[in-house]
Amino acid sequence: MRKQQIPNLLGALTLIFFAAFPFVYSGGNYDYVMHILIIGFFYAIMASSWSMLAGYAGQFSFGHMGFMGVGAYTSALLLHYVHFAPQPTNICTEYQIGGTWMIFVNPVGVTSTSLVQDCLTQAKAIWGSAVPVRDVPVWLGILLGTFMGGLFGFLIGLLVLRLRAAYLALFTLGFAEILKATISAEIDVTRGQAGLETPALFENGITLFGQAYTRTDKLPPYFVFFFMLLACLAILTWLSRSKFGLFVRALREDQDAAAALGVNTTRYKILVFVVTTSMAAMAGATNAHYVGIVTPNALFLLQMSLLVSMAIIGGVENFVAAAIGAIIIQTLLEILRSASFEIGSIHIDMIYWRLVFFGILLMLTLRFSSNGLIAPIIDYFYRSDVGKETVAKREQSSGKEGAAS
Amino acid sequence: MEHSRLFWAAIAWMIVWGVIGSLLIRRRYLHRDLDTSNTNIVGAFVGAATGPVGLAYLWYKTPVLTTRYIAIPALLTVLVFMLAFAKGDPANICVTNGTFVASQFVNGLVIGIIYGFMALGLTLIFSILGIVSFAHGEFYMIGGMLVYFITNVWFPGASPIIGILGACIITFALGAAFERLFLTPMYDGRVGRPVEYGILVTFGLAFTLQYFVQAVAGANPVKARRFLDFPRIRIPSDEDPWLLKANRGSLELFDSVTISSPRLTAALMCIFVLIVLIYFLQKTWTGKALRAVSLDREAAAIAGINPDRMNMLAFALGGMIAALAGAMLVQAFSWLPQVGAIPSMRSFVIVVLGGLGSLPGAFMGGIIVGMVEAAGTGCVPDPQKAASYIPAYGMIVLTLTLLLRPTGLLGRRFSSATHGQN
Repeated sequence: MRKQQIPNLLGALTLIFFAAFPFVYSGGNYDYVMHILIIGFFYAIMASSWSMLAGYAGQFSFGHMGFMGVGAYTSALLLHYVHFAPQPTNICTEYQIGGTWMIFVNPVGVTSTSLVQDCLTQAKAIWGSAVPVRDVPVWLGILLGTFMGGLFGFLIGLLVLRLRAAYLALFTLGFAEILKATISAEIDVTRGQAGLETPALFENGITLFGQAYTRTDKLPPYFVFFFMLLACLAILTWLSRSKFGLFVRALREDQDAAAALGVNTTRYKILVFVVTTSMAAMAGATNAHYVGIVTPNALFLLQMSLLVSMAIIGGVENFVAAAIGAIIIQTLLEILRSASFEIGSIHIDMIYWRLVFFGILLMLTLRFSSNGLIAPIIDYFYRSDVGKETVAKREQSSGKEGAAS
Repeated sequence: MEHSRLFWAAIAWMIVWGVIGSLLIRRRYLHRDLDTSNTNIVGAFVGAATGPVGLAYLWYKTPVLTTRYIAIPALLTVLVFMLAFAKGDPANICVTNGTFVASQFVNGLVIGIIYGFMALGLTLIFSILGIVSFAHGEFYMIGGMLVYFITNVWFPGASPIIGILGACIITFALGAAFERLFLTPMYDGRVGRPVEYGILVTFGLAFTLQYFVQAVAGANPVKARRFLDFPRIRIPSDEDPWLLKANRGSLELFDSVTISSPRLTAALMCIFVLIVLIYFLQKTWTGKALRAVSLDREAAAIAGINPDRMNMLAFALGGMIAALAGAMLVQAFSWLPQVGAIPSMRSFVIVVLGGLGSLPGAFMGGIIVGMVEAAGTGCVPDPQKAASYIPAYGMIVLTLTLLLRPTGLLGRRFSSATHGQN
């Protein structure tokens, strides 16, 4: 077997492993393991889209978690504030659309974060169960969140057109910080640090292949994230192999030279922002519904550093490697969480030390293997025969020349 | 807010004319084939302050845009903004209470000096190495932590001076070691994109340091003792009226302005260290060599200066300045391993506002940001909201600067390759 096929084979095996895992695995900590993998997939989507933005296009944005927050909060706010009912409440802000009323829930005197009292609750108390109130479906929330993420990406992309390197990093970091501060401060809309509760991905349960799953079962969200990750990787692969990938890499190497050669740098810079940020927003919106709550703490710089480290350790210029790195590191971090031990009388609490080692690993990776740790392995197999092939071709052609002369 | 609608309408009016002005004036100057480097900011400020009238004047005359054309419309814009605020919310404490405003002003100035001092370290690193250190806030945090540990845990009762000196030495060594170990490949082309490498590797350092301190020191807030208790005095006399009154924790001026003593001592020490630093940069050989490298690497190397040595010195010195700022503020605020994040971002704002690589710019920027934060926390009606928005005020300043004048107040364009961004 040729060495080039090993990564493809391994990739296929990994896919089969992850697809079969929920059905085969039956340990006592089933839910916990599934949860780790789901969060791993979430980070994998984030890391691979960030590696497209930073590694391929060279736009080192530190606001990726901010775009995730845009997606999460769009979906959460929409589902929280917008409802449909067949008759008006007469106390809420509402608009008639055909035979139904679209109701915007105004908070009535909500100042404390724990007090839940709004006009719809009051209306429901009067109606009893006679009037069915319908919520916005979750998938629509995720769709709108994705769209809003793309829109914000478009606007930020427009604004950062002239900025490079350090300035771009600072500007995007600023965007994420403003967003976080706004969400924390506007308590009467977003409930601030207390967070906004969101309905589960499948609130009423779902039946797959004759098997019924409740809203807390891990299997349906697992596959939602799994297929979402595959879709994102497929889109990114397709983009990177098309003209888009070529142009975007030209942008990274030398923007002025690319522009001089006729690449529409403005368009591709904005486009790469839109694509990657909408992926981040989609992951964020889905994750918000999976976790059941969104808080501004998710936009912390820590989360961003985690994401950057995953992409760097995986391999920032290869999004498949970044995704694999994210899953591996997320799993490792979870395993190490409980691996505290003692040296003599000193108690080593791994909850913090694991992150210290992780940071050192990040710095060492950057210093000694700037392509990451996983990407070089893939490259090793793909490129192993390149040398031999080249030599063979050269000999062949020189042999022909020799015959001709 | 009573007439908050009026206020928001005025803001919207200013934004609209600012955007129109910045786009329109730039086009005008492009058409006339004139220098467009200042058109964005002048157009935006003139548009925001005077609306169509001033823009028409600019359009008609198309004068040479000098600093005067930036400063006057900028001040006018601030004035219009303040007027709109006063009209929009006449009952606000910032409009009705003069002594409160004076107090906020002085406190903004005092804290701004400390901010500016801290940002000085960042701008020093940038002007020599050409990278933005994302670990600046962590050096600040470590400086404070070291002072706390030296004076309270390891050697209880030690003088704060020893703590500050110890923090300086340790952070200087840490900065120098990190530069030798991780930043050296940037200089000789061993990494493809040095600026991005610098950002990421300092980002990694920040991450590591923060969790290292958390693992060692725990996650509970700590607070150092006050370095200096003021004597109990009254000037001019013991009876009223008095001009200046001091007690252990604070200093009062004119019966209106109160400054807490830790902040005041910190600011005074910052000014003292700043003077020493200026002396070092202007008079000593090493300082002159540092400035020479920031101006032109190759020429400095020809003149017999080792630029790599200067890189190490600049990074260590920059980190030490941040640590010094932290060491002085640990007596004023309670200290956590996460405490570095906000000052770090504030320093970014300040150096971009002042102009990346400009030392006087950093100091000016620090004072401006201090004022903006003081105004923001004092004048926003809902105090809880005002506190939550603290990080955002600076970031709004940053965004505006990057959009209108990316070179900053006193920025210059860098010639060498590593600096050649923007």
